[in-house]
Amino acid sequence: MHGGNVTARDDILGRLRSKLGRNAQNAATARQAMGEVLERHPGGPRPSQPADRLAYFRQRSEALSTTIDEVAAFADAPAAVAAYLKRHGLPLAGGVAPGLSDLPWAEAGLRFEARGGRPDDLVGITGCFCAIAETGTLMLCSGHDTPAALSLLPETHIALVRLSRIVAAMEDAWQLARDELGRLPRAVNFVSGPSRTGDIEQTIVLGAHGPYRVHLVVIREA
Amino acid sequence: MHFKARVGEKLADRILQENLAKAKPKFVDSRAKVMLELDDIEATREAAKQIRNRSLENLDLWLETFESKATEAGAQVHYARDSQEICKLVVDIARRHGVRKITKSKSMVTEEAGLNRALEAAGIQPVETDLGEYILQINDNEPPSHIIAPVFHKSKEEISDLFARTHNTPRKTDINELTREAREQLRPHFLSSDMGISGGNFIIAETGSVAIVTNEGNGRLCTTLPKVHVVITGIEKAIATLDDLSTLLRLLPRSATGQAITNYVSVLTGTKRPDEFDGPEHLYFILVDNGRADLIGSEFQDMLRCIRCGACMNHCPVYQTIGGHAYGWVYPGPMGSVLTPLYQGLENALDLPHAATLCNQCGVVCPVKIPLPELLRKLREKQVERGLRPLSERIALRAWAWVARRPALYALGTKIGVRYLKWLASGKDRIKVLGVAPAWTQGRDFPAPQGETFRELYARGQRDCAR
Ligand code: SF4
Repeated sequence: MHGGNVTARDDILGRLRSKLGRNAQNAATARQAMGEVLERHPGGPRPSQPADRLAYFRQRSEALSTTIDEVAAFADAPAAVAAYLKRHGLPLAGGVAPGLSDLPWAEAGLRFEARGGRPDDLVGITGCFCAIAETGTLMLCSGHDTPAALSLLPETHIALVRLSRIVAAMEDAWQLARDELGRLPRAVNFVSGPSRTGDIEQTIVLGAHGPYRVHLVVIREA
Repeated sequence: MHFKARVGEKLADRILQENLAKAKPKFVDSRAKVMLELDDIEATREAAKQIRNRSLENLDLWLETFESKATEAGAQVHYARDSQEICKLVVDIARRHGVRKITKSKSMVTEEAGLNRALEAAGIQPVETDLGEYILQINDNEPPSHIIAPVFHKSKEEISDLFARTHNTPRKTDINELTREAREQLRPHFLSSDMGISGGNFIIAETGSVAIVTNEGNGRLCTTLPKVHVVITGIEKAIATLDDLSTLLRLLPRSATGQAITNYVSVLTGTKRPDEFDGPEHLYFILVDNGRADLIGSEFQDMLRCIRCGACMNHCPVYQTIGGHAYGWVYPGPMGSVLTPLYQGLENALDLPHAATLCNQCGVVCPVKIPLPELLRKLREKQVERGLRPLSERIALRAWAWVARRPALYALGTKIGVRYLKWLASGKDRIKVLGVAPAWTQGRDFPAPQGETFRELYARGQRDCAR
């Protein structure tokens, strides 16, 4: 499937082959080595981490201007979200990821519809596939249960993070994805704090094109 | 304009000089601080270098693997040999899908291609959405002066004026307010564009994905909302696995902006799935050669490891003094001084390999250990080999070589030379006008020789030893 562009492809790959001195024999050897790399996907050096992963995750997240709350169980999340929204004078309505629609949002006085993100949403609530302590990062996998735009269009993004899903490093997050999802979702978005820009005089400003605020509710329930 | 003339202009530009002086320490200091979070910086750089080398050493096969994985996931993979082919492919794709407006996330390869001009000529509106790139676009398509901070050369006052003029809004001077204004101007474009164009920091063979690293969120918007997404990136950006990506990501944002990670890292694979609310229905890759393939297997192959972090320019005393525009093409600083002659022709960038003190600051900070000074030196050699140096320089070098092979004559020559310089200095320690080469002292003084020559010192040392 190369459209009407066969010549450019053949020309470029052809030149690469000749520059690399490609022949059937060294191609076979190289393919075998490549196969091993793909199979084993060896990692590079990783920075060490303190043993208390949650504390480290919290520290790294807060350094990025993410705020964090903790609750015991999923059922407690709506009340914690409501308290956060009220504390900041934010609207008590918006979109919630369909994967979280069965939580008692209405009981907490919130009006969140289970759906994808809309341009006029001010608040979006999502879960996350996992979170990464090393950098204070959320890993969001796009799909019906976690729509990509819901964490992007609203000015406030709230994410529920299960404590047991906080992994040490990005490599661990990929391994979880390999084990649990088989193939990658269309979009894996790693989110580390509110959107920002430093383009004007290298001065960091929060809220460029994405959310101004990222708030996490960590759920201790296993 | 000639490089030297541009440099003269930039040095005389007071506002630019102030802006450069203000911007420099921010990148340098924050990088230095955040690199220390890595337990073993050297081992991480070495690993990154190996990862990039592994791709380049079998680039043909990695591209084939990438292609088959990407196609499997629903993307279409195209190749472009040069700028013209890039523009033609994009315009064709846009026409095929009836596209009127394109939102663009930052991509240096599209700068190489002059894509925006081609789109406009085809009646398609490109909207740059990275804040810096947007500022440049509304300022009459000014070129970027830095690969990750496109308006590195501009002060916020200049941007305030530009926004007030272009948006017809009251003049704002607070950077927060300026950013919000850009957000409000651009949001409607995101929602109404039919196609998004992004670069690609890496393409991943394991999964056929593209990895895009951004802070603002514009990259996510461009690749989530429009129904067509076109990724335009260089063929050299292939890496093997997601774990390789993880290693490289420990260095790229740190080296670029002094962040442990950028706000967003998007790894995108294929098209919208049936159960999804959003995502593009069509995904195209345009993998660009534009001079890259010819570097494979050459003495300049190391340059293809570049991950476009900008650390080399942030740490370059020459870049910090003249800014990015003086370099004349898309890529400035040390990496630009290597890439421009290689991609645009040696003869079209004769001064760039010489626009360096070879102090090796760039080589020390480069996250993938590209020996930039060595490559600059090789380019200088190439110029000599191909007879591209000016006649006067060639004659002077010949003459010097001839003399240098005759020690007695050489000693006499240096003796006379030193006397002459001392005479020029007339007792002071600096020479204001260098008699035989007055151009050299136009912007600086020449230090006057002090005390004895090396030969005299050496001879005396020998005599003292003998005693
Ligand atoms: S040459 Fe090295 S330091 Fe310069 S942009 Fe490329 S990777 Fe970064």
